[in-house]
Amino acid sequence: MQLRNRAAYGFLAPYLLIFAAFWIWPIISSFMMSFQNTRINPWVFSPGANWGRLFTDPAFYNALKNTMIILVIQVPVMITLATVMAVLLNSPLLKARGLFRFAFFAPVVVGEVAYAAVFRLMFNLDFGIINKLLNSVGIASISWFSDASAAMALLIIAVTWRWAGYNTIIILAGLQSIPGDVYEAATLDRVSKLRQFIYITLPLLKPIILFCVVLSIIGSMQLFTEPMLITNRGGPGGGTETLGLFLYRQGFTSLNFGYASAIAYTMAALAILISLLNLWVGRDAK
Amino acid sequence: MAELSLKNVGKRFGSYEIIRNASLEVADGEFVVFVGPSGCGKSTLLRMIAGLEPITDGEISIGDTVVNNVEPADRGIAMVFQSYALYPHMTVEENLAFGLRMTGNPKADTERRVQRVADILQIKELMKRRPKQLSGGQRQRVAIGRAIVREPRVFLFDEPLSNLDAELRVQMRVEISRLHKELGTTMIYVTHDQTEAMTLANKIVVLRSGNIEQIGAPLDLYDNPANQFVAGFVGSPKMNFMSAEIVAADGENVTLTLVNQGNVQLTLPLKNPPPSIGDKVTLGVRPEHFAKAGEGIADLTIKVDVAEHLGNTSYIYANVAGGEQLIIEREESRNENIRDTLTIAIKSSHALLFDSDGNRLR
Amino acid sequence: MKSQSRSTLIRSLSLHAVLIPLALVWLFPLWMMFVFATMPDYGIFSPQIELLPSTHFIENVSNLQADTDFIRALIISIGVAITYTVLSVLLTSMAGWALARYSFVGKSLVIAIILGTITLPYFVVVIPQFIMVAREFKMANTWIALIVPPLFNSLGVLFMRQAFSMMPVELFDAARVEGVKEWQIFLRIALPLARPTMAALAIILFLASWNNYLWPLLINSRPGMMTAPVALGTLIGLTKVSWGGIMAGAVLLTAPILVIFILLQRHFIAGIAAGAVK
Ligand SMILES: Nc1ncnc2c1ncn2[C@@H]1O[C@H](COP(=O)(O)OP(=O)(O)O)[C@@H](O)[C@H]1O
Ligand SMILES: [Mg+2]
Repeated sequence: MQLRNRAAYGFLAPYLLIFAAFWIWPIISSFMMSFQNTRINPWVFSPGANWGRLFTDPAFYNALKNTMIILVIQVPVMITLATVMAVLLNSPLLKARGLFRFAFFAPVVVGEVAYAAVFRLMFNLDFGIINKLLNSVGIASISWFSDASAAMALLIIAVTWRWAGYNTIIILAGLQSIPGDVYEAATLDRVSKLRQFIYITLPLLKPIILFCVVLSIIGSMQLFTEPMLITNRGGPGGGTETLGLFLYRQGFTSLNFGYASAIAYTMAALAILISLLNLWVGRDAK
Repeated sequence: MAELSLKNVGKRFGSYEIIRNASLEVADGEFVVFVGPSGCGKSTLLRMIAGLEPITDGEISIGDTVVNNVEPADRGIAMVFQSYALYPHMTVEENLAFGLRMTGNPKADTERRVQRVADILQIKELMKRRPKQLSGGQRQRVAIGRAIVREPRVFLFDEPLSNLDAELRVQMRVEISRLHKELGTTMIYVTHDQTEAMTLANKIVVLRSGNIEQIGAPLDLYDNPANQFVAGFVGSPKMNFMSAEIVAADGENVTLTLVNQGNVQLTLPLKNPPPSIGDKVTLGVRPEHFAKAGEGIADLTIKVDVAEHLGNTSYIYANVAGGEQLIIEREESRNENIRDTLTIAIKSSHALLFDSDGNRLR
Repeated sequence: MKSQSRSTLIRSLSLHAVLIPLALVWLFPLWMMFVFATMPDYGIFSPQIELLPSTHFIENVSNLQADTDFIRALIISIGVAITYTVLSVLLTSMAGWALARYSFVGKSLVIAIILGTITLPYFVVVIPQFIMVAREFKMANTWIALIVPPLFNSLGVLFMRQAFSMMPVELFDAARVEGVKEWQIFLRIALPLARPTMAALAIILFLASWNNYLWPLLINSRPGMMTAPVALGTLIGLTKVSWGGIMAGAVLLTAPILVIFILLQRHFIAGIAAGAVK
């Protein structure tokens, strides 16, 4: 090895130290904790204490169910919306492009706490602007916070609003990387715009859309701030409690670190599964 | 004392051998050109001399120190890269001075050297510009200037002209040649262009897939190539190669038949070791070494496919249909036309013979 | 020719007919945030539909300040976000440089570990991080606790590695031949050339730090050491609290980053798009 390559350790060391201390070690540590009973002092190895409990805990199944419902509805809705937004934003016929981009991309920078507060006010049962607008067109007020289904819908709406633009940016970048001559050739061949979209754009975008899907699934799986702040700690009565919130309550309200770690690793297993699935689908495409 | 010497130098990337057993002596002040087709390892060999690639075998010395484990900066070399490698965010002046500044050279001396380079290369009016604002030729000049500023013992050039257009390339070639005379420093120059090699070098090193095929003065290589590869690589237009078969050999002479040229037979003097009858060989004749009919050892009748009349000379491309194209250079005639039939002669004095492995027989 | 321009017109009209309502819906929550922030509480709770701003912004800010020391929280947030961004860009640039431009023992292992764990949920590490910082180091409610642990983020390493490995080797070799030290090559050549990537990365990291909620909530929840999102979060869900004040806080939290977004939109979008390219 050349002398100069030793310099690499110097460049790498500071980051690696922090990476090891605050990422690698915690990954190992929480794995070990998930097998320990942490409610007694000192902690003892006892796999059943957490994993055994997890699989019989109705609160866990409730959180898992809620998370899955959100995933299954929110991700497809959002990705479809983002694709539509990206395609429309990419149209050469569009006027005031910057304004539209701002409208869709701005939510990406808005903090979770800030938008949680706004959504809470907007969707308030009695004086929220949304119910007022619904009333003005003759629809009865919806109790967004005390009806479990409505609360779920609210979460899905909120998360979609916050993250659609993010995916739009990625898909738009993908669209812009498709060479224009492909479309010119298709136009010369008298292929209609709609068919161009279905037979040219979508197949070329597939890897990017897939990437967005994976990113969104992994993101939505960790949903925490929204059910914490918008639907008031997973209310009504656990109706919107997600895995993230359930973990937070176990770990930091009940201080049961072992149990919370088991929940965390359940999430990790799901994330790994999704990533592997993505690899598999991606390979199939090539 | 050799200014630079390579002893059995080798390089492998993993199990892939890129340079094999290269040995070379370069005298002080010599202009040595490494030439060979793309991918043959020229750049790698140059980078090994620079110290940018670690060597896996052998020994490199500059002056009388072995530099195998010496850092590039301490080898007393300067290098000009094919892509120029100018720092895009610095002005020309900063580019020239950067290395000296970073290594703590006294300020006044740095300024003096930069000024001198600006004089030598006539780039004074470019000093405040960024590389983006320069033409290709100007960038090339600055890149060379950055090497000169270091006042090295050896200059290394890696295909410095290959990104320039044809006209500029000739101009810069002359300039590099002038620079060599002016500075008198050893230069090692890599190119895949044999014309550049022939015009610049005191000594040419021909490389093929990691092997040194021949080392010699330009005209030596031209007149006396060590093998068929060198014979074909050096010279433009290329040497003609004609497939042949030995029909007789008596220890003094061999007789062969040109299988793709109408089975014309000819006899050449060839002593040891005589090939055996039936051996496949290749006859090599340069385009300018054909004679008028009857003036050589055998006459060839050829059919003209293309005739290029350049004024001072003409190139005849013939017998393409036979699967073996011949190029003939003629100075005395401008009248050949397509589909004409000509008779020309092969002279024994300039006919080379190679065996089926490309080794030179005569 | 004529029919073609007519069909273009129709397509343009229908495009805008879809996009304008969609954009209005998308802007609506942001707009309402600003409207609420300027309304007195009785306005927010009035039965009328109020869509236009009022004039009570300053009043709301002072209501907010009465509920929690939000100015102080903002100052902490600004300090943390800036320090974190600078440190993270520096550390990940150095690491990305090492992984892009040198060959050394363990390199592929480091890359494999980074890539292999990047999609793991943050929740996997947050508990041990909390135990380590709060219990073992007893550093809860400190600046260091806010800034240092989140520096593990490896996005920047991949980002910068990508940027550095796309630069031509010859540039660095030229400097090496000239005797320039490795750290000088990094500082004087590689970093200046990576400026656009660093800008994009810095914006994304700043945004992440500015909006970070969970970690500051866990580790710095003592009044006086809270970041702005945490301070605001504690008010949401309380009963005797000024909603106009909360909205003013939301605006104070959002407006600066929105301005940055508008000014540096190009870098910002480049950053998010590049993250997807992996
Ligand atoms: N870092 C490397 N790893 C593996 N192979 C390499 C590396 N660098 C160069 N090579 C190979 O070595 C051979 C010679 O390369 P090079 O010296 O650049 O050729 P030239 O300059 O003569 O065109 C090529 O086949 C190239 O693919
Ligand atoms: Mg080369």
